[in-house]
Order: sequence, then C-alpha cells, then structure tokens
Amino acid sequence: MSSQQQTVKRFSKPVIIVHWINAVAFLALYITGLPLYTDFFSWMYGVFGGPENLRLLHRIFAVVFILPVFIILITDPKSFFHWIKQAFTWRKSDFQFFAKFPKEFFGGHVKDMPKQDFYNAGEKLNSIMQIVCAVILIGSGIVIWMPHLFSTGIIQWAYPLHNIGFGLAAAVVVGHVFLSCGHPNSKISMQGMTKGDVPVDYAKDHHGKWYDELVAKGEIKEAPKKKDKGA
Amino acid sequence: MTTKYAKLVDTTRCNGCRACMVACKNWNDLPVDPEEFKGSYQSHDKCGANTWNMLTFTEHVAEGNRFEWLFRHTACFHCTDAACVKVCPADAMHFTEFGTVNTNYDKCIGCGYCVQNCPFGIVELETHTDENGTEYELAQKCVMCVDRLREGDQPACVEICHMDALIYGEKADMEALAEERLAEIKERFPNANIYNPVGVEGTQTFYLLAEPPSVYGLPENPRVPLSATVWKDYAQPLGKAMLGVTTMAVIGGYISNKLFNKDDHGADEGEESNE
Ligand code: SF4
Ligand code: SF4
Ligand code: SF4
Repeated sequence: MSSQQQTVKRFSKPVIIVHWINAVAFLALYITGLPLYTDFFSWMYGVFGGPENLRLLHRIFAVVFILPVFIILITDPKSFFHWIKQAFTWRKSDFQFFAKFPKEFFGGHVKDMPKQDFYNAGEKLNSIMQIVCAVILIGSGIVIWMPHLFSTGIIQWAYPLHNIGFGLAAAVVVGHVFLSCGHPNSKISMQGMTKGDVPVDYAKDHHGKWYDELVAKGEIKEAPKKKDKGA
Repeated sequence: MTTKYAKLVDTTRCNGCRACMVACKNWNDLPVDPEEFKGSYQSHDKCGANTWNMLTFTEHVAEGNRFEWLFRHTACFHCTDAACVKVCPADAMHFTEFGTVNTNYDKCIGCGYCVQNCPFGIVELETHTDENGTEYELAQKCVMCVDRLREGDQPACVEICHMDALIYGEKADMEALAEERLAEIKERFPNANIYNPVGVEGTQTFYLLAEPPSVYGLPENPRVPLSATVWKDYAQPLGKAMLGVTTMAVIGGYISNKLFNKDDHGADEGEESNE
C-alpha cells in the first residue's frame, strides 16, 4: 500500500513554528491568568513566587503571544494571507459541514461530507474565533498593562473584555486541541502541523477542494480508487 | 442581616481643624505625604494610600453673595454595594460585621482592580519592600479603624473631633440624627441635603452637606460601574459555565468515540501501512 504513504505538503516551516509559539504562549497566558479569574487558583501565587512574578510572566508571554504575527509576516506572508482569506471565505459547503459534523464528532462516519477547502469549515470557524479573541485580548490587555494612557471608562471596560476574551478563547482552544489530538478521525491532521505534510488520502477525505486543486495543478496524481473506506 | 454602623459627617459643623487627619495618621501609623503648596488651604488633592482621610476646602459663594469656606472630611465611603469588593479577585476587599469595607493585606495581590473601579477614587496602591528587597503593592484605604471598633471604641477621627462633626453609631440612629440636624439647619443652609447615595445602596460614611454634592466635587449619582457588573455578574460566571460545557462535550466526544468509532480511519491507516 505504498500509495497510501504518498504525502503532500500542507504547512510551511514558518507556519508550523509560529503556530506552536502561539500555542505555548496561549497556554502560559492561560495558566498565569487563572488566579485572577478565580481565587480557586490563588495557591499558584506561592508556586510562582508571588503575584508580581506571575504578572511579569503574564506580560512576557503576552509579547510572545503577539510575536508570531510579525514573524510570519516576515518569513511567509503568503501562507498568512492565504489563511486569513480562507478563514473569512464562507461557501455553501462550509455551512453544510456543520450539519454533518456532530455525527462525525461523536464517532459516526459521514459519507457525504461536502468537499472542503484547504481549511475545512471547522478550522475556519476556529480561526475566526481565535482571531476575534486575540484582538479582544490584546486590545484590552494593552489597556490593562498601561492604564495611564487611557481614560477610566476605557480601563473599566477593558477588564470585562479581557475576561470575555479569555473565556471564549479557552473554550475554543479546548475544542481545537481535542479535535486535533484527541479525536481519532482528525488525528492525522496533527501530522500536518508537526511534520508539515499529510497523506494524500487524508487530503482527499477531509479537504476535497484542496485535493482537486492539487490534482488540477498537477502537484499530485489522482489516487487510484482501490481502497473503499471501511472495507 | 447584621446591624450596620456608620459615620455621619456633618459638614455644617466642621471648622476645618484637620485634627481628624492627624488622629488617623497617628492611629494607623501612616507616614506623611508631603505636598507642594498649591495656592489653597487644602493639603492634598484627594485621599491616598497613606492619607486615609483629608479635608477638602471649597471656596463657595452662597446665596446673597455670601462667601463661604466649605469643609468636608473625606475618606472611604464604605459603600453597601461596594465596587472594590465586587471586583477584587483575591477576596482581599471584604465587608466586616459592622457593614464597613476592610482590606486584607495578606490576601491582596496588588492588582489595582479596586483602584480602577471605586466610584469615589478613594483607594490607592502603595509599594512596600519585604525583607528580601522584593517590591510588592497593596491596596490601602480607610478601614474605619476596624480594630478599634472591635474593641468597642470609636474610629480615631470621630473620637478626636471636638465639633461633633463626626459621629459614629448604628446606621439607623445616625440617619435619624442626620434628619434631625438637617431640619435644624434648613434655614441657614437652604440647599442642605443628606448624601447617602442610593446608587451604591447607601454608604457607611455619609454626609450632611450644606450645598449640593457637586459643589463639593462629589458625584451626584455614584454607582458600581456597569462594566464591573457585566464583568463579575455575567462574563465571569458565563465563561466558567462555557468552559465547563465545552469540556463536557469533549469528554462526551472522547467516550463515544471509544465506544462507537471502532474503524476510525486515522488509526487504521497507521496500522495498515505497518503491515
Ligand atoms: S476633626 Fe472634626 S472639625 Fe476638625 S477637621 Fe475633622 S471633622 Fe472637621
Ligand atoms: S468608597 Fe471606594 S474604596 Fe470605599 S467602599 Fe466604596 S468602592 Fe470601596
Ligand atoms: S489591589 Fe488588592 S484589594 Fe484591590 S482588587 Fe486587587 S487584590 Fe483586591
């Protein structure tokens, strides 16, 4: 079954690197922010050597969190703009995705999933949510960090906004992490974000439109129809 | 509900002697806050981390071209609906058994949320240095001498006031006294009013003012900022619930996949290709 091993490039090195920088920074921000969210986590002040240290760490990771945008703009702007454009391009097939998705999520097999783009509708939704959350979090975060530059009203609203962004982003990330390394049907997509390539079969099954484009461009040969799923 | 206690500040009796400021610094061991002379008898712009009460001096031209000095002893209002307590993430700002608002320095993390949200701009952060030389910040404000109250004493400022301008006791009694005094002075101060703002459900430091609140630089209708209510009463509980729901969905998804998704392609492909 050597044709199964045929792979196709999905993400560039810079994309993979900034994705993981962003992911690590998010996790670190999440953890260092927790005790401010609920005093259930106030024991963490002891672990991190006091609230001042935790605040400093939170600010360092905040910078690390923003950095990827600049890194990718320098190293691989094409992938960045492709991602943004795709995330905000919604077609019928994207909306249909969500009608079928719950079945797939809870372990069923969807045979008639409409062909998806390079980013499928789930990934698009995840991207948009993350972009929105990042804008909210970074914007309000800057106000909280440098209150002397802003008026009282703006400072007061920055807190609930930071809080809302935090809750939303965390919920989205829980879903995203699960779908990419917990859910068996999407497991292979993880390879795309680590090694950078995915099996051609995977591209065909999960990103039909992208697969068609690749075939049209002659970058891959149409896979022989020899294996029926589940057979 | 426990009995509330309150400090009535009768501005019409105050002569601006500032004994209350001195008594406060003295009892609470607060260092001096040196200030430049700014062309006024007023010593500080506002209350601060080390100046828990102070006197505002307002030059006012009352009816009939009568010049008046308006003195007002100002300190933490000890709001019934206190914004500082609402936003404090560490439970450091808290209500006492007297209905006053106290700070717990052991819990305070110096985040400054209370500073940004107090509708009266009372509380401030102060930088301290511990024995290792590490700096940390604490929120500081008038605590109504809660240590004295617990011994059955009066707040230091109240005890020293020789004009009977500061009176401390059960809130209900103080309100009755304020009404009584208001009736007495109505003739001399036709604009006199009681300032016990309803927007924060009343305050435990409340006033008998000779002129409208705005003349003293007080907000006419102070409230807990809407943003603080959205934050603490809606966003935070909702966020926690949402996080819970997503986590449950993920756990549900994981379990049902383990149960029903025996022939998942992700894992299969790996196994097959190894053969
Ligand atoms: S001690 Fe009494 S009279 Fe003197 S400034 Fe304070 S409130 Fe006014
Ligand atoms: S005046 Fe400010 S510091 Fe005092 S209880 Fe009210 S909100 Fe808190
Ligand atoms: S500075 Fe201290 S008292 Fe004020 S909100 Fe933060 S933890 Fe609470």
